[in-house]
Amino acid sequence: MADLKSGEKQTLVEEGTQFKGSLTSTCPVVVRGKVEGEIATPSLTISETGAVHGKAKIGTVVSMGDIAGEFDADTVQLSGSVRDNTVIRAKTLEVKLSTEEGKMEVVFGNAKLSVGDEPEDA
Amino acid sequence: MADYSRDEVLAKVRGGEKLARADLRGLDLSKAVLDKVDFRRADLEGANLEGAKLKGANLANANLVEAYLKDADLRDAKLDKADLEGANLERANLEGADLKRASLEGATLTEANLSRALVVNASLEMADMGGAKLEGATLSHAEMSEAYLGAAKAKGADLSNADLSRANLEEADLTEANLTEADLSEAKGPGANFTKACLQRANVSQAVLAGANLTGADLRGADFTRADLHGAKLTGAKVFGATFSEANLDEIELEFIDASTDGDGTRRITGDAALEMLRSGRPSAEVPGRRYFGKGDVMRNAALEFGDNSFVEIESRFEKCSIALGAGTELVVGDAGVLQSCTIEGAGNIIIHGRFLEEKSPGIVGPKRLIVSSRGAIQATVHQPEGHTQFAFEPGSRLRLNIVRPDDEKGR
Repeated sequence: MADLKSGEKQTLVEEGTQFKGSLTSTCPVVVRGKVEGEIATPSLTISETGAVHGKAKIGTVVSMGDIAGEFDADTVQLSGSVRDNTVIRAKTLEVKLSTEEGKMEVVFGNAKLSVGDEPEDA
Repeated sequence: MADYSRDEVLAKVRGGEKLARADLRGLDLSKAVLDKVDFRRADLEGANLEGAKLKGANLANANLVEAYLKDADLRDAKLDKADLEGANLERANLEGADLKRASLEGATLTEANLSRALVVNASLEMADMGGAKLEGATLSHAEMSEAYLGAAKAKGADLSNADLSRANLEEADLTEANLTEADLSEAKGPGANFTKACLQRANVSQAVLAGANLTGADLRGADFTRADLHGAKLTGAKVFGATFSEANLDEIELEFIDASTDGDGTRRITGDAALEMLRSGRPSAEVPGRRYFGKGDVMRNAALEFGDNSFVEIESRFEKCSIALGAGTELVVGDAGVLQSCTIEGAGNIIIHGRFLEEKSPGIVGPKRLIVSSRGAIQATVHQPEGHTQFAFEPGSRLRLNIVRPDDEKGR
């Protein structure tokens, strides 16, 4: 989470903080606590302790935490967990394999992923 | 013109003032003590910081283009997103520094110490890192094409997914380094040491690794097409699924190779048989349980069952086929492969470079691992097994996935 110290203006929902409602920001948003509701921001980072449950319209999402709901984004990087009834729509998605054998980088519940152009039978 | 003179800067530092966003272009701050100073977004283009003490300094987003940082002490400094294009960091101490997303294109890092540094997603194209210390550094996803890493000491470094295409790695020490899915195409690494390094699924095509030491390296799924491995040491290398088509294997040192799917030494091939296996181009072709379905073939309405620990590669078109995978079996749908209206069931590992297009849900049941590469496309419902599926998706993959958790009865 070194980005948090880089001096860029950003909105921080700190660990132990729970936010309910609608959050719109032109700054990057960093969530270490919990957000329930709607988020619109160019950049959303969810730390290992963070959770976002709700609807999000975002440019870039980097999630290491817990997500649920509907996420519309350009770019998504996922680790952590994806709860039931989650829909992710994105232009690109990156999920890496864990470097530790047998360990999950992402644990998916029931989720729908719609990423990039429609797969077609050429 | 800089905002302040050298004396004014040093006075501000002594007074504990920040220099964030300050215009310090071309200023001579050589040998100045600037530990922990806040230089965020400062403009230090062309500044002379030779021998400066910048331990723990915050230079995030700073402009350090063409800055002279030779012998500077930058231990634990924050340089994330800093612009260091063309900067001179010769012998600089960057141990533990944060260089995430920093731009170091064409920078000089000769004999610099980057041990434990975080260099994720940094841009290092054409950088000179000759003799640099990179032990324990994290350089995953770094752009290092055409960089010079001759004699670099990178034992245990994380270079996974790094772009090292056309880089020079001559005599570099990459012992136990993680080069998973790295791009080493056309790299030059004569005499480089890759002992016990992990090069799983790396692109090593057309690389020059003559005399390199790959003893015990994990090369599973790597592509060594037309690579020059003349005189290289390959004893104990894990080669399952690797490609050696048209590679130069003359005079390689090879007592045995590990052809097991899991790289656990359970399928050891020795002597001439090992060499012949590599010369065949696809070592896995000789492995019992390997199945290959070539380009141009079409298979319809077939039921296929593959036993445990098999390796199945499909470059053909399959229509309305049901495929059962034994435990540990690897199913690779190649770039030309299409699975249309098929089903896959079983605890295998599925890697998709081509296409999987479901008609009847669920198309995939119980996979241990599902990887879709940047070239792959999948439209399917995936029922996870107990313990969940390990998923990996590369940027560029096209996905229409409905993922169902293991204990969900409604999805069945």
